[in-house]
Amino acid sequence: MALRDPDIRLMLRVRDDDATAFAELVESYHRRLVTVLQHLVSSAEEAEDLAQEVFLRVYRGRKKYRPRAKFSTWLFTIANHLALNVLRSRQRKPVVPLNLRDSGPLGPRPAEQMVQDHGPQPHHRMQQQELAAIVQQAIEGLNERQRIAVVLNKFEDMNYAEIAEVMGLTSKAVKSLLSRARENLRLALREYIYMDGEQPAVSAPLTEKDEEL
Amino acid sequence: MASLSPEERANLVAFLDGELDEETSQTLEAKLNLDPQARAEAEALRQAWGLLDYLPKAEPSPTFTNRTMERLSLARASSTQLMPHRKLRRLPWPAAVSWAAAILIAAGGGLAVGSYLGSDMSETAGPDAPMIQHLRIAEKWRYYENAEDLDFLRQLAQPDLFGDDTGT
Repeated sequence: MALRDPDIRLMLRVRDDDATAFAELVESYHRRLVTVLQHLVSSAEEAEDLAQEVFLRVYRGRKKYRPRAKFSTWLFTIANHLALNVLRSRQRKPVVPLNLRDSGPLGPRPAEQMVQDHGPQPHHRMQQQELAAIVQQAIEGLNERQRIAVVLNKFEDMNYAEIAEVMGLTSKAVKSLLSRARENLRLALREYIYMDGEQPAVSAPLTEKDEEL
Repeated sequence: MASLSPEERANLVAFLDGELDEETSQTLEAKLNLDPQARAEAEALRQAWGLLDYLPKAEPSPTFTNRTMERLSLARASSTQLMPHRKLRRLPWPAAVSWAAAILIAAGGGLAVGSYLGSDMSETAGPDAPMIQHLRIAEKWRYYENAEDLDFLRQLAQPDLFGDDTGT
């Protein structure tokens, strides 16, 4: 396993107190980790804070690290625990998220906003943003375990066995979890699904190639 | 949408994900080929899944790695400062009992003196009264200043925080 996964070799160097190796791990995984956490907690800033905490826990637990599975599985297992804590504490104490990057003194200045707005057509962008908000809402409607399974499956491309390992479940339980989650998503998004012969509610999302044009 | 049995419906997502065994997969595929309603159900599931592509990609701060490394340095510095507390746990039991007894006596004496002085001070509370009241916090302010929040301090107090590492 260690020979096949370069990240395991990197983590073994971290275990031997190599701070450079740790910085390399942070650099190569932070985007994936923040993406997953952002879809789970629905807040960019909270996702970054959580991702930092995940990496710090990786470092603190380095001496206990044993290369039994892929490094990413271990990393996302820690992330899963932290995200579950956040989601559960939110259930106990609901909060209204305030995205400081959208408004207020930390938000973009008018000139920066103009640069950000210079992209796809406003109408197209609005449709995409609206749909993104609806999809995010549909994900938030799932229970916490369904949400984690969906996000790992969709954005980390994890198979059922890997999700099971991260979440401490059996593959059969993951299969059942994802079946119910996908059915819930279908119900929540049914107005935005078009079948043969119907017009799509919005045009397809932009690919990186589209964004270059 | 009732053409699929509950069991087939439970297998449908796993089929779309390529996670079904060969035999079950072939049976379900045959059903989908023959039944337009079942096919529509599978297509709706597939399209709902595709809508998740509209979610924006995360754009972490460009300073993320540097900030994480700074936070790590801070945590390591704090762990060095807190190291004497860890060594207390390794005292042999007679020494530990002596220490515990000494601390109890000191605490008891402190409480007695404190309650005696407290009644005096409440009558002559001056501008330094809040400082005196929070003297314990003021004394340890340099630790609190380095910590970002209370949760972080609590985590530092966890015994398994640094694993087997006692040298950093």
